[in-house]
Parts: sequence; C-alpha cells; structure tokens
Amino acid sequence: MPRPVRVYLFATARQLVGRATLTWTVPEQGLSARKLVEELGAAHPRLVATLRVSRFLRNDRYLTDLTETILPGDGFAVHPPYGGG
Amino acid sequence: MVVRLSRARLSIASAEAWLANRPGGAVVVFAGRVRADRRGRTTVLALDYEVDRVPALAQLRAIERDASRRFGATGVVLWHRLGRVPTGEVAVVVGATCAHRAEAFGAARYLIDQLKLRVPIWKEERGRPARRPRRPRAPPAGR
Repeated sequence: MPRPVRVYLFATARQLVGRATLTWTVPEQGLSARKLVEELGAAHPRLVATLRVSRFLRNDRYLTDLTETILPGDGFAVHPPYGGG
Repeated sequence: MVVRLSRARLSIASAEAWLANRPGGAVVVFAGRVRADRRGRTTVLALDYEVDRVPALAQLRAIERDASRRFGATGVVLWHRLGRVPTGEVAVVVGATCAHRAEAFGAARYLIDQLKLRVPIWKEERGRPARRPRRPRAPPAGR
C-alpha cells in the first residue's frame, strides 16, 4: 500500500482547515501538484482562496511548476503569503 | 552567526558587535520591534511568529549571498524571533558591513525587504479588547 503524502499547512491555511497536517492518499504513480491543490480545495472549500495566493513546496523545495509530480511519501507544504518582520 | 531563527530574545548589541568585526567602513543595523497597535477595539499585546524552518533557513542564506554579491557586504546578519514576542521586544534584526555608507544602507534595506518577501515566516496578533472609557454617571434626579 503506497504511503500517503503529508500536507503541511501554515498560518491562514492551518486556521481555515483546523489542522497543521493532513495525510493525503495519492496514486502509486503520483499526481501533479496542480491536481493535489485542486483536491485540497475540493475537500476544504474554505481553503480555495488561500490556495490561489499560496506558494507550494515539495520536500522543502519550492515548486516553480505545478506540473511536477508529487509521489507517495512526499511532503507537500502550503505557504500562504509571508508576513515576517 | 549570519542567519538565525530563535525563540530567545535578540540582542541588537550582539548583531552590531558581530558586524563591527567584519572589514569595512560602514555598519548599518536595523531592528524591528513589535508595536502596540490598535485594531479597532483591540490593542496588540504580542505577535506569535511561526516558521517553516528548513526552507526559511535556505531562503535566509540565499538572501545573505545575494546581499553580499549586490552590495559587496563583508558581513551580514539576518535574525528573526519565533514564538510569542511581546510588544516592545525586537522581532527582527538585519545588518550589513560594507565599504561605504551607501552600500551599507542599501544592503540593510535589501535584507529586510527580501526577508519579508521571501522567508516563510508568518505572524498572528495577540491582543486584548481596549477598555471603553467610563461614562460619567448621571446625577440623581430631583437635585
């Protein structure tokens, strides 16, 4: 059985879902980051607006292209706009 | 230490001392403190900072490299506080040592601007409702 993707939510994304981490089942061959984002939005409609303005990371590396494949066992982070300082 | 994410208090003096040991004629340090802002009827008492640590450290190091290249900085500090930071305390310290003041001011400005833009740190306000001014009691009727 393939390992799930761990989805890490920060700031407003975490607040909207009510959890910091989600486990997401993906096909063995993986799926595109875009598809994963769509699935997250479908499962958590309140998250959709935040997803539109967020950056995404796969295994701590920024995705510049949402066609990149997310594989079972990967970490996928959702970064809403930053607010440090 | 060039980059730092810390739950402990940040010392402006330590940043200045570190930068002063680097070669160059100009040292600029910027510190950002938590303000006791009012938001409607709420007064900010503290900010809670959260981070995605691994990419945050990578971004801080990339900003340090960029600043060194663009401004010829011989020393850079990029420090950010995490967790709950009460009003009045320092939340962020950036600074640069360069040959001349124009580069040092430019580098410090670049560091804080890029930190806000590129580093995965978020803040959430913690506050308390502001007290409403008491209304004076009406004098008893009939007097």
